[in-house]
Amino acid sequence: MTMATSSPVRERLEELKTIAGLTGIPEPPIKEVHVFWLAGMSCDGCTIAVTGATAPSIEELLTGAIPGLPRVILHHPVIAVEAGEDFVAWYYKAWRGELGAPYVVVLEGSVPDESRAQRTGGYWAALGVEGADPWMAQPVSVNEWLRRLAPGAAAMIAIGTCATWGGVPAAAGNITGSMSLMDFLGPNYKSALGLPVINIPGCSPVGDNFTETVAAILLYLVGLGPAPEFDELGRPKWLFSETVHRHCVLAGYYEEGTFAEAFGERRCLVKVGCWGPVVQCNIVSRGAIRGKGGCMKVGGVCIGCTMPGFPDKFAPFYKTPPGATFSSLFSKAVGFLMRKLRRISMSERNWTPLWDRKGAVPTPWGKPSRKSWFHRLVDSFYRWWQYRGSVRLDKWQTYEEKEREMEVIWMGR
Amino acid sequence: MCFQNLPIEFDEQGRPRLKSGVRDPYAYRRVSLAEQEEKLRELMVRAGYIRSLDFDPVTRVAGALAFHCVVDTKERKVLSANSMATFFRGYEVILRGRDPRDAIFISSRACGVCGGVHATCSVEAIEMAFGIKPPPLGIVLRNLMLALEFLYDHPLHLFLLAGPDYSQALVEPTNPTVWARAKEREAPRSAAFGFKTIGDIMTAMNPLTGSLYLEALEITRIAREGYVLLGGKYPHPETVVPGGVSTFVSFQLFNELYPIIVKLADYAKKAIAIWDDLTEFFYEVNPLYRKVGARPKNLIDSGIWDDPEAYDADYAHCAQWGERRWATPGVIVDGKQVTTNLQLLNIGLEEFVEHSYYEEWGSQRFPTDPLGAPLSPFHPWNKLTKPKPSPQSWKEKYSWATSPRWDRKVMEACCVARMWNTAAAQKLPSRRFIEPTGESLRILLPKGEHPEMVVEWRIPEEWNAFERNRGRAYCIAYTAAVALDNWVMGLEFLKQGKTKVSTPFTIPTDRKVRLGVGFWGAGRGYLTHHLVAERGLISNYQIITPSTWCASPRDPFGQPGPYEEAVMNTPILEEAEKPEDLTGIDILRAIRSFDPCMPCTTHIFLDGTGLVITREVNTCACGLED
Repeated sequence: MTMATSSPVRERLEELKTIAGLTGIPEPPIKEVHVFWLAGMSCDGCTIAVTGATAPSIEELLTGAIPGLPRVILHHPVIAVEAGEDFVAWYYKAWRGELGAPYVVVLEGSVPDESRAQRTGGYWAALGVEGADPWMAQPVSVNEWLRRLAPGAAAMIAIGTCATWGGVPAAAGNITGSMSLMDFLGPNYKSALGLPVINIPGCSPVGDNFTETVAAILLYLVGLGPAPEFDELGRPKWLFSETVHRHCVLAGYYEEGTFAEAFGERRCLVKVGCWGPVVQCNIVSRGAIRGKGGCMKVGGVCIGCTMPGFPDKFAPFYKTPPGATFSSLFSKAVGFLMRKLRRISMSERNWTPLWDRKGAVPTPWGKPSRKSWFHRLVDSFYRWWQYRGSVRLDKWQTYEEKEREMEVIWMGR
Repeated sequence: MCFQNLPIEFDEQGRPRLKSGVRDPYAYRRVSLAEQEEKLRELMVRAGYIRSLDFDPVTRVAGALAFHCVVDTKERKVLSANSMATFFRGYEVILRGRDPRDAIFISSRACGVCGGVHATCSVEAIEMAFGIKPPPLGIVLRNLMLALEFLYDHPLHLFLLAGPDYSQALVEPTNPTVWARAKEREAPRSAAFGFKTIGDIMTAMNPLTGSLYLEALEITRIAREGYVLLGGKYPHPETVVPGGVSTFVSFQLFNELYPIIVKLADYAKKAIAIWDDLTEFFYEVNPLYRKVGARPKNLIDSGIWDDPEAYDADYAHCAQWGERRWATPGVIVDGKQVTTNLQLLNIGLEEFVEHSYYEEWGSQRFPTDPLGAPLSPFHPWNKLTKPKPSPQSWKEKYSWATSPRWDRKVMEACCVARMWNTAAAQKLPSRRFIEPTGESLRILLPKGEHPEMVVEWRIPEEWNAFERNRGRAYCIAYTAAVALDNWVMGLEFLKQGKTKVSTPFTIPTDRKVRLGVGFWGAGRGYLTHHLVAERGLISNYQIITPSTWCASPRDPFGQPGPYEEAVMNTPILEEAEKPEDLTGIDILRAIRSFDPCMPCTTHIFLDGTGLVITREVNTCACGLED
């Protein structure tokens, strides 16, 4: 990196590129982007999830190790080297427009209703203090920071279900009046770039969903990527438009109408409380971390943690969702027949054509069951259908038989 | 006799009972903080060298934290510090009135740093309340999962949160003479990690660029990869259920876990060598470093990792199954272990709200535990969470954290307390990789990239910031050994055909009152969930986390909480020309050594002025009264 930036080397590199007609990855028009991370009513789980991301990883973004992408300067209390005033100073620079670079605000955690706390002279969450006289300094609430930074931000990103929709702190009986970032900023909010709030839900979210969205926006800004699309709730469309059930590794069990009745049974989990068929999430196809894990992949039910209705519209957890109770009746009926027929065609396909001719499988491992008349009937119908209108590959017993027939075709007879 | 302050005695059979003839046995007299406050206020006005040192926010802790302390810059002493949590989300309030099963997923969200510990703790509380005993393989998988969580958690703290305080980037500007010595000093355990000098280690610990920093970040991912194979996702798992786990089991699972666990066990060897070298170097440079973050050896631990043959979720047998855990529960007072009995640990608990933003609940529903032992009106089963945001007053209420006490003593929770209790008790059943000796814990680590070795953690002579960090490095080895042991045991159950991972259960909706308590551990040590269930719902839910213990404000008896105490014992060893140049690195080291999970917030502020100097902010949650 040092070599490329020192000027003689840099010049020589540019010269070589020109001679060879190589354009490579263009230099980003913006060299740096500041990211201000704020936490409301949060558990820090979103931060932790982001440290697990690898596509791209946080250290790649922060060290500017990805060609074409501006370096991300992250102001985050959990990883900052500076503490206290030195740390908060950057927030003031952004507010006063003195950064000299664009900035993005990321909110983790829901936004509490500070007016409720003020009624009794307190506050719910704050960052830094203000006041000329240190004895009388007052804390600056997170809400105040959001109000200050939102108008100038290139984008406001809500990460996690608390910031995107309200989440657990906004569940029934909460006393803090917690709400989402959209609720707090109102329906007319647009960032300096004209973007409404971008929402990356999940409790906790998949770390890669966040870093990928950031990368998508940055790649678009430097002209390499397509304009990222967002759905009607501001979710990245390519990540959240599918239900988690459609990509579920257990969805085939649903189709065949087989359901787990107890925890740990490897079947479709809707009967033990899975909401996957109606939840927009990509965790089973993407995996939780570096492709590994993902709720239903390992036996966990979907509790709808990416959805605006979480948690109350999915509770009590571990109870069969009413939808699953009814739709599973149909899949049970259809699946019963389908399973039977599939078992026949699968067992047929567990035999090589040679074993078919010999009528036996050459292994002491197990004894394939004898084919019943029903099995044979189904299978011959199946083969007739399979080869209908095309060549029937099982009709020749030997090389000679096939050659004889081909000879006839060859001679045009 | 383990209780000195509570009105509890033991009968001939050794059963605890109330001391007879004591009227109003749990009553106490509240110590006023007004006088202290007045003195300090005067002192600040009179002496110019007594000044405040502000940090707002304290970075590199889980969650955020700010504090203010008053420092005597002549004597280089901290005169006063208070800890203050200013974050409240009302999880206990939200849980009240919900289906007990909701506690698993909702309480899990109390903390996103130590994933799964709350889910598991709440499951154990539910299992006790409704009498659900998980099958052995379910218990083993839970142990494995929660071991993998700590294998992410400890490296995260040691190299990403606390580590930078010992890096070249911070040591050189704050202590140039220490840095000069470090560059010259050869690292005694160089063979284990390849750095020649202590200075080289410090450079490798630099944030974002140092190889140790980046390696630790990667290690946290590897451990989480193992975790999500069992739990589905991190931090909030999806497979922890009452009666076991819902994880699908096959040989593939065990096969995929094996190289991960072995790699982490191997990493432990390196982490230990680094923290041993760093600790000894600092002691050598200046023996006063032994006083940084020092406080009395009063530690409490709830134990963790159940014995699959012993755990039956029954409170009546908690003393027995508790002592068979891989981490023996226990209480250490002044360096001496006074009990390992979970029932005594439970009945010694009290939570005070004198200096916290809550109302007193004023009633005592349960005078005894389910076995007839006396309970304080301040015990979590009796306590109700009645939040009342109020103006701040150092004399009155100043924190959202409560003050949990055991036998009315100030206790510290820490992962090292796990090793300490296990080492001292010697009650661990014979295990493949871990042997407690009374003074130490011997841990066998199998061969990997590094050869097979036995590491030995000794109960430290002093208890300070460096021993907390060094101990945490040994905890990586200890936890990896627990994971390996459970991995072997899990395969054993597969061999025996014991493949059930959960026990079916129902939630009764009758009027019977059922009590449950989950004793589990978090990355930072002690964790309990107290549950009262009736009519099919939660009628009370109380969480005490490790940071509730450590971040606690003063109690009614005037005793400061552990952070406050540790900071007040910390000498200012930073080299600064002028007092205003002090960055407070020693104080930060003291605080960060606790691995504050301040998703809640702590404010250490000027004791005694009656004015808010700083406070703060933020975020996670696991520390406090959630």
